[in-house]
Amino acid sequence: MTDRDVLPFPAPDQDDADIAARIAALYERTPATDATQADRCARAVLAQAMHQSSRSALGVSRTRWWWGAAAAAVLITATTRPWRGVVSTQEADSAVGRAIAAATLSGTVTPSDSAVRFDLTLPTSASAVAIVGDFNGWDQNATPMASRDGTWSANIPLTPGRHVYAFVVDGKRWIVDPLAPQVPDDGYGPANAVVIDGGPQ
Amino acid sequence: MTDAELITRTRAGDPDAFGALVSRYYDACWRFAYHMLGERSDAEDVVQESFLRAYLAIGRYDERDQFRGWLFRILTNQCRNALTSRGRRTRRFVQDEVALETAAAPPSGLPLGVEDAALSRALAQLDPQQREALLLKYAEGLEYTEMSRMTGVGESALKMRVKRGVERLRAILGPIDD
Repeated sequence: MTDRDVLPFPAPDQDDADIAARIAALYERTPATDATQADRCARAVLAQAMHQSSRSALGVSRTRWWWGAAAAAVLITATTRPWRGVVSTQEADSAVGRAIAAATLSGTVTPSDSAVRFDLTLPTSASAVAIVGDFNGWDQNATPMASRDGTWSANIPLTPGRHVYAFVVDGKRWIVDPLAPQVPDDGYGPANAVVIDGGPQ
Repeated sequence: MTDAELITRTRAGDPDAFGALVSRYYDACWRFAYHMLGERSDAEDVVQESFLRAYLAIGRYDERDQFRGWLFRILTNQCRNALTSRGRRTRRFVQDEVALETAAAPPSGLPLGVEDAALSRALAQLDPQQREALLLKYAEGLEYTEMSRMTGVGESALKMRVKRGVERLRAILGPIDD
């Protein structure tokens, strides 16, 4: 039976070919992983599997501890009500965030010949700041910023065009520069935007 | 060495054989997970968890299946689990009260890298089910029968997801297309 036989609506038209080609090209151009990554993964899997096997070999029976664990979980949940803690944490984060935005948080974007320099000054201390954006796949581990005299900086080579970015403070708080242009929230929260002038030379 | 030979050796307890299987399929798995999840570190975690599950279940692997398809069945499930558990927790932005102007529209004639970024962002905005269907169909190049076996979703539903996904992509990408 062909796809067309079972399709209750018109088959995808030929116009999809352009989208299909773009997706395939994007996929093909995805950078390969680091050569050691697969090796590290295999080692980690074997270590985890060995750990699980040894637990089984030692007679750690799921059914024996399961009821005890469930009872303990009910007791802890009933006494500590962890959902209240979650709400409080989120409110605290928001309050801190608003305080930061209202204080002296400021950023600059300085294009140069080879790269664009992003600077961010935070009014409070932070142990790590990263810049994330469309240029690094929104990966908060990809582009850490360097700290100097309270200002966090990163030089990033950008192609001409519009780029969208945000900052991640201490690996968990996503912030934007309130004085830089922003793009509308597309479901992931607000982000800054910068347009790099100049086309192919 | 074929997949079947490596699997036989893995079952016999040869760690190098399993390492060879991981090396053979790691990039393919990572690429799919990366485009599904949009985060490098999440993709690494999901791929590792998928290989762990595959290793633990390799005794139940049916040789009549393609190993890659069997592995991707585990991987797609793990991606779904990761998306469900992640929700919006990792994207908590701080809102600012100041009204700010929207950045200028992108210039025409975008260079290739920017076009990639636009498509990447557009894919990220899709419903995960549509994104999964589009990636399996157009990036992995699978037939609907294979996709159905892999995801447990009917072929008609998968075709609908691809169709809706393409429509949504066009709607998002429209303003920057010529």
